[in-house]
Amino acid sequence: MRHRLPLLPLLLMLVGGLVFWLAQEGLRGVTRFRPKAEIEVALPVFVQVAMAGGDRYLAASWSVIRALVTETSRMAREEYEILGQVQKDASWLNPAHEDNYYIAAAILPWEGQLEPTQVILRRATRARFFDYQPPFYYAFNLVHFKGDVLAASEWLQQAAEKLPDPEERLILQNFAARWLDRSQDLDTAARIVEAMAAQAKRKDFADYLRKRAKRLRDLAVLRRAAAVYVQAQGKPAGSLNDLLRSGLLEKLPVDPFGFGYAIDAEGVPIFSSAAGQ
Amino acid sequence: MWPFCLSALRSGFRSRAVLLILVLGTLLVGVAFLAASFSPRQPKTVTMDVGFSGIRFSLILFAVFWVQELVGREVERRTVLYALAYPVSRAAYLLGRFIGVLGLLAVAAAVLGSLLWLSVILSGGHYTQSYPVQTGWPFWLAIGGLWVDAAVVAAFTLWIASLSTVQMLPVALGVLFAVAGKSLGAVLEYLERGAAGDAELVGRFGPLLQIIQYVLPDLSRLDWRGWPMYGIPVSDASVSYGVLLATGYLTVLLALAVMTFRRREFF
Repeated sequence: MRHRLPLLPLLLMLVGGLVFWLAQEGLRGVTRFRPKAEIEVALPVFVQVAMAGGDRYLAASWSVIRALVTETSRMAREEYEILGQVQKDASWLNPAHEDNYYIAAAILPWEGQLEPTQVILRRATRARFFDYQPPFYYAFNLVHFKGDVLAASEWLQQAAEKLPDPEERLILQNFAARWLDRSQDLDTAARIVEAMAAQAKRKDFADYLRKRAKRLRDLAVLRRAAAVYVQAQGKPAGSLNDLLRSGLLEKLPVDPFGFGYAIDAEGVPIFSSAAGQ
Repeated sequence: MWPFCLSALRSGFRSRAVLLILVLGTLLVGVAFLAASFSPRQPKTVTMDVGFSGIRFSLILFAVFWVQELVGREVERRTVLYALAYPVSRAAYLLGRFIGVLGLLAVAAAVLGSLLWLSVILSGGHYTQSYPVQTGWPFWLAIGGLWVDAAVVAAFTLWIASLSTVQMLPVALGVLFAVAGKSLGAVLEYLERGAAGDAELVGRFGPLLQIIQYVLPDLSRLDWRGWPMYGIPVSDASVSYGVLLATGYLTVLLALAVMTFRRREFF
């Protein structure tokens, strides 16, 4: 029997190969779809509970893990708002969740989300009657972001009462007194962020917090230099380079988050991201 | 009644669906163990939290599949007639099966609970939490609550199985009941707290939910994990009323199941 060439299959193979080759060529120019690591949506509480099979604790855990794996160092303002909403919902579902209030306090207020942070901390204070930290962070936020030293002092007293050790209680009460005359203190802020970093089990999160603390310390250095500049020159510095030229700084600090620093109209150094807002 | 209970226990452990759920349950406890690595400060609490959710999920699946397997399928294959050929009442058959399922659920809860207990002890490595979890009897109380929860779902599924002529209906409705009952607590609290300022929502659904509470049991009342996880004590009232609620509802469902099953014709 004569072998005939299987024409049709061969033809199909050629056509298939050609299509595959063309598609591959075409795809090389197409950029891959990359899912955004940043947070994009906050679902309504009901949907969250229903998706967790009615289990509010599971819904809360899920939200907190979402907040934790989000890339928080490069987010837009709206995305921080969403993160704030997600964490606020988590705190409604499980107000006693320790990680939730802790990461909220570490990230949100610094990105303009003070309101959700305070809600989360208030709920945590109520639910975790044994834990001094939520009222402590609540008090700190009041001082640092709102300059409300009186209310902050009261909350700090509340935090002090939750400490079992009378020695430590005294220290915190002292702190409350000191805060009354020290608002807007960047060094205190940096110390608190560093203390939060020291408690973190996850190394990457601790590093992230340390970067935040370094940023605050660098800003404090810039502000001190600017204050000296005003005294020496009799006028506020127009730019950060003025500080450099006058020899008050050896070099400009490098922002670990890449936003940099700027100087506002009154000659006070600020974070660059704040200048744009 | 007891022979039915014993045969339920025997065939319950033999069925293949159960093996699958057991694997799933073990996997979920494993997930709980891994979830601890996401926690910056409370790895043990997170393991416990996710683990309780996983155990609840598995127990509900166990409950509906066992009831389906031991009653639903017997009715469907008519093998139930061999059992009913004995000089016993149909009620005895149904109750025996139910008690068997309760026993099976207790064994499942104990096995998965022990697995979780071990995971909690081991999770987090050398890191010491500033607020430790409680692995003593608060932990087992929470597991017990999940068992009662699953028992109510099993009773509901049994009732549906006693009247259903559609194969998977008891399973589907049982799962739906479990989700709805568990969600009820969160929904009620949301509306009671003013629905985040949405007065229209409160006005429309508030009265309806007040009635629904008396038809659908609030299964989230049987969730006492706040105690082992955070040391927030559970009041005696919330435990005793929770168990009472479950027992009452369960009794009503069993009575309904017995009534429909008595009148059921198999041909």
